[in-house]
Amino acid sequence: MAELSLKGVVKRYGSYEIIRNASLDVADGEFVVFVGPSGCGKSTLLRMIAGLEHITDGEIRIGSTVVNDVEPADRGIAMVFQSYALYPHMTVEENLAFGLRMTGNPKVDTQRRVQRVADILQIRELMKRRPKQLSGGQRQRVAIGRAIVREPQVFLFDEPLSNLDAELRVQMRVEISRLHKELGTTMIYVTHDQTEAMTLADKIVVLRGGNIEQIGAPLDLYDNPANQFVAGFVGSPKMNFMSAEIIEATDHSVTITLLNQGNVRVTLPVERPRGGSGERVTLGIRPEHFVKAGQGDADLTIKVDVAEHLGNTSYIYANVTGGEQIIIEREESRNETNRDLLTVAIRSSHAFLFDSDGNRLR
Amino acid sequence: MQSSRNRAAYGFLAPYLLIFAVFWIWPIISSFVMSFQNTRINPWTFSPGANWGRLFSDPAFYNALKNTMIILVIQVPVMITLATIMAVLLNSPLLKAKGLFRFAFFAPVVVGEVAYAAVFRLMFNLDFGIVNKLLNAAGIPSISWFAEAPAAMALLIIAVTWRWAGYNAIIILAGLQSIPDDVYEAATLDRVSKLKQFIYITLPLLRPIILFCVVLSIIGSMQLFTEPFLITNRGGPGGGTETLGLFLYRQGFASLNFGYASAIAYTMAALAIAISLLNLWVGREPK
Ligand SMILES: Nc1ncnc2c1ncn2[C@@H]1O[C@H](COP(=O)(O)OP(=O)(O)OP(=O)(O)O)[C@@H](O)[C@H]1O
Ligand SMILES: [Mg+2]
Repeated sequence: MAELSLKGVVKRYGSYEIIRNASLDVADGEFVVFVGPSGCGKSTLLRMIAGLEHITDGEIRIGSTVVNDVEPADRGIAMVFQSYALYPHMTVEENLAFGLRMTGNPKVDTQRRVQRVADILQIRELMKRRPKQLSGGQRQRVAIGRAIVREPQVFLFDEPLSNLDAELRVQMRVEISRLHKELGTTMIYVTHDQTEAMTLADKIVVLRGGNIEQIGAPLDLYDNPANQFVAGFVGSPKMNFMSAEIIEATDHSVTITLLNQGNVRVTLPVERPRGGSGERVTLGIRPEHFVKAGQGDADLTIKVDVAEHLGNTSYIYANVTGGEQIIIEREESRNETNRDLLTVAIRSSHAFLFDSDGNRLR
Repeated sequence: MQSSRNRAAYGFLAPYLLIFAVFWIWPIISSFVMSFQNTRINPWTFSPGANWGRLFSDPAFYNALKNTMIILVIQVPVMITLATIMAVLLNSPLLKAKGLFRFAFFAPVVVGEVAYAAVFRLMFNLDFGIVNKLLNAAGIPSISWFAEAPAAMALLIIAVTWRWAGYNAIIILAGLQSIPDDVYEAATLDRVSKLKQFIYITLPLLRPIILFCVVLSIIGSMQLFTEPFLITNRGGPGGGTETLGLFLYRQGFASLNFGYASAIAYTMAALAIAISLLNLWVGREPK
């Protein structure tokens, strides 16, 4: 087991900068999730930690050693690939034992470790089968098993669940979480699914276009996103964004008008003076933060497009003609239907404000 | 309705089937019948001993069979090994100008047989061939490639290998490229050395393709004709490089003994099938 740290890590392919100045500390035993849209560099960052890609600049440490020039095999890491990358011509048992056998690990010990892994992952009955004869979930388990037998200091997972169906995904997610508790090993996990990130992580690293946008505990990111990108990425359904213009800014408050929502005015308290009048901004409100008409600081009348009643909760997709679509989550009401007009209220205490570059103003 | 549609389909296929029957099926059947006929007298008469009996006691046949087998047993493994090494080199990320090398390896197949034979005859010429010059430069005395049977056999093996190794390498390269990178990455993280990755991952996964190349090469070697005909001067010296293909040609088209030639042809085909099956069986997937 080991802690891990990145300092100013950069990756360039020719003139393309794929990773820009990434710094990160991972504590021993921590579960860290890299999350971000496709192509943002999650796999690249993970592969650099594994040693499968060279780093252009910066420093990677595992434990107390700088591993920049350490061979992948000697970094004490194990990786689970998105495609599983099982050895197709070997049985499950051979897949698990291959690395240990090839490196001259004593036979008895190899056998013991393989058996233990088979027990942990409940794949005892599959030991004599080839990867071709396994289902997706079973292959995934073998791939994880192959990583566990190595008894590594750090586990790396690259979107391990993305090839599974929704139900199996939830099930494997729980298993990986259990595994982390059982083994207590440092794990770094890549996904573009924010639900996976929220449920698994001790710490989430949000990436965009090769930049680390924010690092924090799941609920910290949810409650306190650093910018509009993180605010929109974390949480499901997504945070609502409405374009607005500042009409008055004082030392303690900003008053805006919602441009596409019937020019409704809202005044938001701020801690420091922010923005100037006439500046374009974006108001952000999470779906569950709308309240009944009259109970908030500004009322908004919108037309329901679609209402999804799930029983315990309802999602209402609505808009003002020409405006952004707004998603509202309501727990008690089940009556809204198409084309109904609905009035909800915004509470300024639960609203976020971003400038035109996506930086957070409040 | 259904049957009339079927009839229409066969109607469209008829020209092909006709040509197939005339130029494939009929010669196959007819040569089979011929192999049981004495074709040295007129009219041809049924006489199984004339050809099949003769075949099994003909020292010229055993000589050709022996030569063919020697070439096959040495040339096929050497060539496939070479082809595999070439394919691995072609697949290496370290190699620059891959396209050029791929073309260079494949080019011998495209070169006309006569030109290729002529070049080999020149290169291996006793007095002014480049090969002997190089040997001399390395302190080895000249080898008379065309006058001594073992040297002539070696020459044939070198020539055939030169001609077909690249072709097989390209096929094996396709197999190599179908093995995903991440399997090797997983093995690297499993601390498996490059050499062991090659032995325990690459080779087993290439097995079906290598087997395919081996079977193709066996069939090719069984029918070897051009090289002993053109390079070593009709199986010379003194039948020292006469192969089954050349023996068949001599009997059929020089002596016009078609019955005997047919028996030889059937023997060659049977041997090629038997050896190929043996290979497939030896190299079958375990379990
Ligand atoms: N060998 C390469 N040469 C040039 N660019 C590359 C190379 N490999 C990856 N990239 C680029 O690097 C960026 C990051 O790729 P990466 O695979 O890390 O994305 P990702 O975040 O894992 O995406 P996904 O969620 O789709 O897997 C992409 O824009 C990709 O085009
Ligand atoms: Mg990826």
